[in-house]
Amino acid sequence: MRHGSDKQPRHFTAPGDAPRVIDQGSVWILVAAPSIWAAHFLLSYWVAAIWCAKTGPMASLVEPRWIIVALGLICTALIAWLGVIAVRRYGGVFVIFEEITESSERGRDRFIGHVALLLCVLSVVAIGFTVIPGLVFATC
Amino acid sequence: MTDEIDLSRLPPPEPYDEARDTAQRKRLMEAWREPPGWKIVTAVNNSYIGKWYLLTSFGFFVFAGILALMIRAQLAVPGNDLFSQQLYNQLFTLHGTAMMFLFAVPIFEAVAIIILPEILGARDLPFPRLSAFGFWCFVIGGIFVCGSIFFGVAPDGGWFMYTPLSSDPAYSGLGTDIWLLGLSFIEVSSIAAAVELIVGVLKSRPPGMRLNLMPLYCWYVLVVAGMILFAFPPLIAGDLLLEMERAFGWAFFDPDRGGDPLLWQHLFWIFGHPEVYIIFLPSIALIATMLPTFAGRPMVGHSWIVLSAVGVAFLSFGLWVHHMFTTGLPEISLSFFSAASEAVAVPTGIQIFCFIATMLVSKVRPSVPMLFAGGALAIFVFGGLTGVMVALVPFDWQAHDSYFIVAHLHYTLIGGMLFPLFAGIHYWYPFVTQKNLNARAGKWSFWLMFGGFNVAFLPMHWTGIMGMPRRVWTYDLSDGWAVLNMVSTIGAFVFAAGFAVLALNVLWPRGKAPLVKRNLWNAGTMEWAAEVPDKPWGVRSIPYIHTRYPLWEQEGLVDQIDRGEWFLPDAEEGKRELIVTDILDARPLFVQRVGGPSFLTLGAAFCLGAVFILATFHLWAITLIFGAGFIGFTLWWLWTGTSLIPEKPEKYAGRGLTLPTYAQGNRSPGWWAVFITMTGDMTAFMGLVFSYFFYWTALPDFLPSSAHLPGFGWLMLGLALLIGAWAMTTAARETLGHGQRGLAMVLLIGALPMGALGIGAWCWSAYSKGLDPTVQSFDAMVWMLILWMGLHLLLNWVMHLYVAARVKFGHCTPEYRADLMNLTLFSHFLALTAVTIFALLALFPLLMGVGP
Amino acid sequence: MRRGTLLIIPALLAGCDGRHNWLASAGAEAQRVEELFWVLLLGAAVIWGLVIGAAVYAHRRQVDPSLETQARRFILWGGAVFPTVIVGALLVWGLVILRDITADEGDLTVRVDGERWWWRVIYETPEGDVVTANEIRLPVDRTALFRLTADDVIHSFWVPALGGKMDMIPGRETTLALTPIQTGNWGGLCAEYCGGAHALMRFDAIVMEQDAFDTWLAAQAAPAQIAGDDRGFEIFQEEGCGACHTIRGTDAQGPVGPDLTHLAAREKLGAGIYDMTPETMARWITDTHEMKPDIDMPPYPDLQGDRLDRLVAFLMSLD
Repeated sequence: MRHGSDKQPRHFTAPGDAPRVIDQGSVWILVAAPSIWAAHFLLSYWVAAIWCAKTGPMASLVEPRWIIVALGLICTALIAWLGVIAVRRYGGVFVIFEEITESSERGRDRFIGHVALLLCVLSVVAIGFTVIPGLVFATC
Repeated sequence: MTDEIDLSRLPPPEPYDEARDTAQRKRLMEAWREPPGWKIVTAVNNSYIGKWYLLTSFGFFVFAGILALMIRAQLAVPGNDLFSQQLYNQLFTLHGTAMMFLFAVPIFEAVAIIILPEILGARDLPFPRLSAFGFWCFVIGGIFVCGSIFFGVAPDGGWFMYTPLSSDPAYSGLGTDIWLLGLSFIEVSSIAAAVELIVGVLKSRPPGMRLNLMPLYCWYVLVVAGMILFAFPPLIAGDLLLEMERAFGWAFFDPDRGGDPLLWQHLFWIFGHPEVYIIFLPSIALIATMLPTFAGRPMVGHSWIVLSAVGVAFLSFGLWVHHMFTTGLPEISLSFFSAASEAVAVPTGIQIFCFIATMLVSKVRPSVPMLFAGGALAIFVFGGLTGVMVALVPFDWQAHDSYFIVAHLHYTLIGGMLFPLFAGIHYWYPFVTQKNLNARAGKWSFWLMFGGFNVAFLPMHWTGIMGMPRRVWTYDLSDGWAVLNMVSTIGAFVFAAGFAVLALNVLWPRGKAPLVKRNLWNAGTMEWAAEVPDKPWGVRSIPYIHTRYPLWEQEGLVDQIDRGEWFLPDAEEGKRELIVTDILDARPLFVQRVGGPSFLTLGAAFCLGAVFILATFHLWAITLIFGAGFIGFTLWWLWTGTSLIPEKPEKYAGRGLTLPTYAQGNRSPGWWAVFITMTGDMTAFMGLVFSYFFYWTALPDFLPSSAHLPGFGWLMLGLALLIGAWAMTTAARETLGHGQRGLAMVLLIGALPMGALGIGAWCWSAYSKGLDPTVQSFDAMVWMLILWMGLHLLLNWVMHLYVAARVKFGHCTPEYRADLMNLTLFSHFLALTAVTIFALLALFPLLMGVGP
Repeated sequence: MRRGTLLIIPALLAGCDGRHNWLASAGAEAQRVEELFWVLLLGAAVIWGLVIGAAVYAHRRQVDPSLETQARRFILWGGAVFPTVIVGALLVWGLVILRDITADEGDLTVRVDGERWWWRVIYETPEGDVVTANEIRLPVDRTALFRLTADDVIHSFWVPALGGKMDMIPGRETTLALTPIQTGNWGGLCAEYCGGAHALMRFDAIVMEQDAFDTWLAAQAAPAQIAGDDRGFEIFQEEGCGACHTIRGTDAQGPVGPDLTHLAAREKLGAGIYDMTPETMARWITDTHEMKPDIDMPPYPDLQGDRLDRLVAFLMSLD
């Protein structure tokens, strides 16, 4: 009763168990990119807030600014890597009229990869927005 | 066994046999029928609970709406004395509180309870008794909060209850306690709903409904339930801090004792901002479901809408400080939130553009639901645009706390949430009642509400620009706001008239009206496979789904379902059964038996209600008695209704499929329920961790000298004991798995004194150094963290004793040990909490150079 | 939208220079926001029109296959690209304005302490602090730096015509820079709900030429000039008013209520809500809670006739 379209991928464990983080078929890739945005956002906010609180209201922001930019670049690189995974391992594509309605594991993977790719793009844009304040302000 | 099944190549159904069909229907009816007469209050089926939830939420809407009309009447003319200053302050506070907590969030839950199982071809939600419990908590809490105004003690600090206005007993009375404790109910029922909906969407889909085939409504519900888990708990943490200050004088928000009023604002808005998206997204989900029906084609950009939902869900957590732009925080900090507030406009807009794109490539049939959807669009886009404006800090420095914001928030809420909901009412009324609403009345109600709304709220933008602040009970003629206010008042009453027409339309008795045809709107989603007239068992058999719009794309599906040709067409053992499937591909995993009507949920909700209400009045002794009652009812409910060992290990589910009847560990919905609840618990704990670091950031001398730190040695000892207790629990799971029941019980019971000594050591570490939570914020935080751990330990002990008893009486065995696995999961989270508290109290001061 | 617009026009015509209107732009900071406002308003109107127009067009247009390409472009460019560019540009502009309107120092420093439900105002001068209440006068074309705090609950200091608002938070000091550029009597309000009589917590912000301001400030700094045999002042002392109110130059040194040293020089009474006339003053004393409910000051309904008249005359002489 086994058929090619429904064959289990090699690393997939028994159905129902929580999917592992970076295995093929895992849904975590969907939330990974926005989570990285969230981490960058929170870290940037905390770095700036603690810096301003502990050094005083007129402190220069030059040092934290570069921390925020550096973090932004690292996070963007991480997200780019996720995007590559989405394309390679999941077969994700960037389309508008997505009709990935094939009832198969491949279809499901392609859909997840596609949405993950879109979320990667959105997350990178959002990281860009977070970096802008660091560039505009020179003091607390 | 399950991984070998190819759902696309199942054996064909047995030939149709009328006698067998009738017998099966009879057995299904027996299992699913709700009790007659007054015993209907014990019902747990989603069709009943959902309908009651919906009506109750609208009841609170009407209540809050009447308060709004009173507000508008008072503001219609300058210098009005229709209502006094004191009453007015209660009116606007209760209007906001009731609308946000007793209408906007519960209605999403109500709609999901009615529609979600049906749209997934499931018979019910995975935890029907939990939904019922959540509903009754909601009713009791809501009546308590709203009833306060009839006694003149309604909360009067504004719906977001800023401190110190709300924390200092000199400035706020019983109303604030009623707000705090009444809301605790809503928080409980919201977390319960989040658990239900996440598990429902992930694990009770029809076989074959892979993630890429899942309807958009389910994506939205999943995302919103996840948001609830991360948004509500920080508010719970804040509520706890506020109540401890009000009742026992602990120093959290009093600046004279190291407290900071801004902490409340952070905790509240970390909840409050995602809250508005929690309200908005499920309503837009309704449009995403209705539009394809009237367009006659699948939604364009399906995955872009999933992107929107997930994107908004995450980004919305980065906006909260935009409610605090005027609090004097550093400009750089404010700017991050301004950036995220602008960024969120992008995914919010994308879904709207997908709707318009769908309209472009199809011919949308005019109908009352589409009329409301169009109005929703027009209003919401406007609200979104003013949102882009106030996301800019300098603009907000003028707009904040003025009527401009009142206008903005009503445009987004009424356009983004209320009008789509009204569209949904017209669309799903036939589904719920098998009759149709009057279309002419629908149109009248729309135009009255659309026109009235704009007349009321459009001028408010200008009123705000003219400088009228929020929450003012009167104003002077010389202020120049009189004409605008009168216009707004007239609009409000027109809007109310429109709603009255809608309400009349919905409540009109239609006993003699003809039944509608099945799938009246010719929709593609599964809920319309329900028979007319409606049967309590939902779908006749649970189908295999391999398309996004099954009723359009799977030929003859409805007939097959009706003839019982799919899964679980029968209820041979007389039990209520669902199929639980896996997350990715909806492979069938096992047959789950769910609970039927019960007094236990009512009893538990009533006792919990009593606990909160009596605590408001500081009647501690009786509170404890009802607390015991609550625990008693809950344990009885768990004992008789969960992790039951099935009478047979497997059952035949139809079409060649034989499935287990029991699951444990991460295959079981119960385990997921614990996991999800504990995630919520951890985010509440994170709220406390945030508070600790907030104080450290904001106060130059938060960390005291080492003489005043809790004793390091005692903290270490306490941690070791607590981890020891955790180790014992985990060991119990292993030993039970090896068949050593006696040892397992000893370990379970032994974990209690271990834990008690551990928390005792922590208490001593603080007490012996003279830390007094009423004296300053550091002490209060230390004791709060210890209290948090203590409360969780108490709960843990009750659960340990329960599981030990289950082992003793043979309900938890080496083979069937779901109870113990759920308990260990809970203990893992507690261990993590303990380690984190230790890090905060012992390690962080070391890191900051304050030695032990 | 149509119905609302017609009703707005009379209000628009009447209101642009209302004393609480943001668009009066009587301050440099308010002016920056005004520029932003018109661009945002125009932009919002255009975008709303385009989106709703697109929806109407989409609804009406006959279906044909070429529409798929249009729909695709619509989602990508209209839904994703253009909004990103627009909000990104707005963000940068907004941040630049924010950077420009905030300042750490000014030509003049004024401390304002929010109370339930009035304003304690203290001018910092080289010669020492000048204490007054409920009315703030400012010299035109000079940046005034406000240092704001509160004793009891959160209030918010707002003069819309001059600039944005800033909260007054117990335990913190916040700052606000306002640079008036037009003389006049502008309205100030409390913009954070503070319980009770929040709606009646107002003040006047009066902008004057520099020399007029200097004269005023010097007069405010001076103690009260009271005749030794002023019967009204005796009544003031007999009724115990000095327990809460201060009149500099006398032994009335109460810190609880507003400083009354130059009460009658103010335009308004009761924190910006009533005209300063003998009649309102009399009613304020006898029917306090009818004039402003729930405030701490108790009413003195037994003060009548001649006794009341003399007290009022005394208070009206404090200019």
